Amino acid sequence: MAATQTQSTPISLTPQRQPVSNRARFWIAFRRNRVALVGLAIVILLGLGAVFAPYIAPYDPIEPHYTARLAPPGGEFLLGTDELGRDLFSRLLYGARISLVIGFIAQGVALVIGMTLGMVAGWYGGWIDDLIMRTTDVFFAIPGLMFLIVWVTIFEPGPISIFLALGLIGWPGEARMMRSQVLGIKELDYVLAARALGAPAWRIMAQHILPNALAPMIVLATLGIAGVILSEATLSFLGLGIQIPTPSWGTMVQFGKNYLPTGQWWYAVIPGLTIMITVLGFNFLGDGLRDALDPTLYE
Amino acid sequence: MTLYIIRRLVQVIPTMLGIFTVLFILAYLMPGDPVRSVLGEEYKRLSPEVVEGVREQLGLNDPFLVRYVKFLGQMARLDLGKSFILKQDVWDIIGYRLPRTLQLMAGGMFVALIIGLPAGIIAAEKQYTWIDHVLMVIALLGVSMPVFWLALLGQMLFTQDKYGIALFPVAGYEQGSLIHMVLPSLILGTNLSATIARVTRSSMLEVRGMDFITTARAKGLPYRVVLLRHQLRNALIPIITVVALDIGYLLGGSIVTETIFNWPGLGRAIVPAIQRQDTPVILGILVFGAFLFVVINLLTDLIYALVNPRIRYA
Repeated sequence: MAATQTQSTPISLTPQRQPVSNRARFWIAFRRNRVALVGLAIVILLGLGAVFAPYIAPYDPIEPHYTARLAPPGGEFLLGTDELGRDLFSRLLYGARISLVIGFIAQGVALVIGMTLGMVAGWYGGWIDDLIMRTTDVFFAIPGLMFLIVWVTIFEPGPISIFLALGLIGWPGEARMMRSQVLGIKELDYVLAARALGAPAWRIMAQHILPNALAPMIVLATLGIAGVILSEATLSFLGLGIQIPTPSWGTMVQFGKNYLPTGQWWYAVIPGLTIMITVLGFNFLGDGLRDALDPTLYE
Repeated sequence: MTLYIIRRLVQVIPTMLGIFTVLFILAYLMPGDPVRSVLGEEYKRLSPEVVEGVREQLGLNDPFLVRYVKFLGQMARLDLGKSFILKQDVWDIIGYRLPRTLQLMAGGMFVALIIGLPAGIIAAEKQYTWIDHVLMVIALLGVSMPVFWLALLGQMLFTQDKYGIALFPVAGYEQGSLIHMVLPSLILGTNLSATIARVTRSSMLEVRGMDFITTARAKGLPYRVVLLRHQLRNALIPIITVVALDIGYLLGGSIVTETIFNWPGLGRAIVPAIQRQDTPVILGILVFGAFLFVVINLLTDLIYALVNPRIRYA
């Protein structure tokens, strides 16, 4: 991108710029990206909201208020209430815990599986590579949402089974990316040097390849969290995810949709909006990280 | 080229075998008693011996490996079995529902391309201007929108006069009439249009810096010709990849869209099949979905090889 901008630099007469460390360079690039900063702010706010939910939430998320059923936003209940008179704002805050925990853990599972398999495939090559990459194809081909639906009928749709399932179906992209990273890095001189010194394969992988392959994996993981949160919400919306009374955003939309025709729009619209803002936050952040970690974009 | 095609075709075999294995294990682990599903109401009235007989007849008492091998044999004969509940061949169910799902997917794809391609081209041409920024933020918004929520919003705003305008019917299929297709297609296509816009932008930018574009411009070719015939055509490969990979996504998205819009496609069939433990239908649709994905990927690869000789001889 922007190849035309980096042609011939005139000799500068001012003193040479201090060499910049990678970390500083990353921060300079990231800070300039307003969209990425917005994403970071969204993620941090959500994280704080989830962690401090018991202190911030004005009401108990499960406690009904029968005198204030389906109260509109504003007034006593900031974002209105549901059919049992439960405070939507409090439920959204507690729902953030579920969404974020599933997002991070499921993506973590996918990342660990994907990176391990991708690294082994890329490093050893040959039939091991073939075996792993064909397995990757298999998991790529299975329609994700259908797999999830079948999975939760086999194992109870609790948080653990859901993040396991999302992790199991989510790793192929990570594995492919890791493999292509390793294929590039393993030809570099410092890896050759480590081999010449007789370092065992596992140490080369852990100490030399892993740290240098990390940047694109971080980007992929950030965007992956967005995808996982969306999948969990979809599953919950279909009634197959986190079960009531635990507040989950997708489930709230599922119940809220019944009140759309009767005019209580906030019940379905606000939780949906929350999902969108959350996913958007991670997407903004991931995009910003991608640009900031890309050394070719730095002038 | 022939060698490449053969090599690529042979690769499909282990992939399909892997898919069969994973899906069979899933189906094997499904809870509940299939005999109960098969017999329905009669289950309670029949004697345990008869029930046992049915179980034996269905091969449900066979050990795991025997059932697995039988299942592979079935797949090799392209036999998807019969629905436990509808007593219908699974192929007939797919044959009835697939065209409807494909119709919806085609609608979604059409929407995605008609929005995504121009948006991506314009953003690339106006790189780093406010137009580019606005388009790309909108695209990220589109990617982040939950399909089910968007569908509900669409229904709220465009199917009744209370909050919006009654432009389209709320749901239904009605022999696939165009007016019933508009809203579900729009909903299904939104996410994908955003993805296509992003890929188109970056791909167009990448091609723009290349020498043959400069040459084309230097020759004095009109802007339009350079943009569409030289630049876009060469930028198409990554776009095609994304489109091909997202066919699977469309299939998944169709579950939600079909459920909300009561569209009689494959996605609408799998949810009740799971609730009724109709294993042959579940397995059949999953196998078919995965197979579709593999075939589309194969075709994409072959098209690349046809277009780009470097891949053929790699």
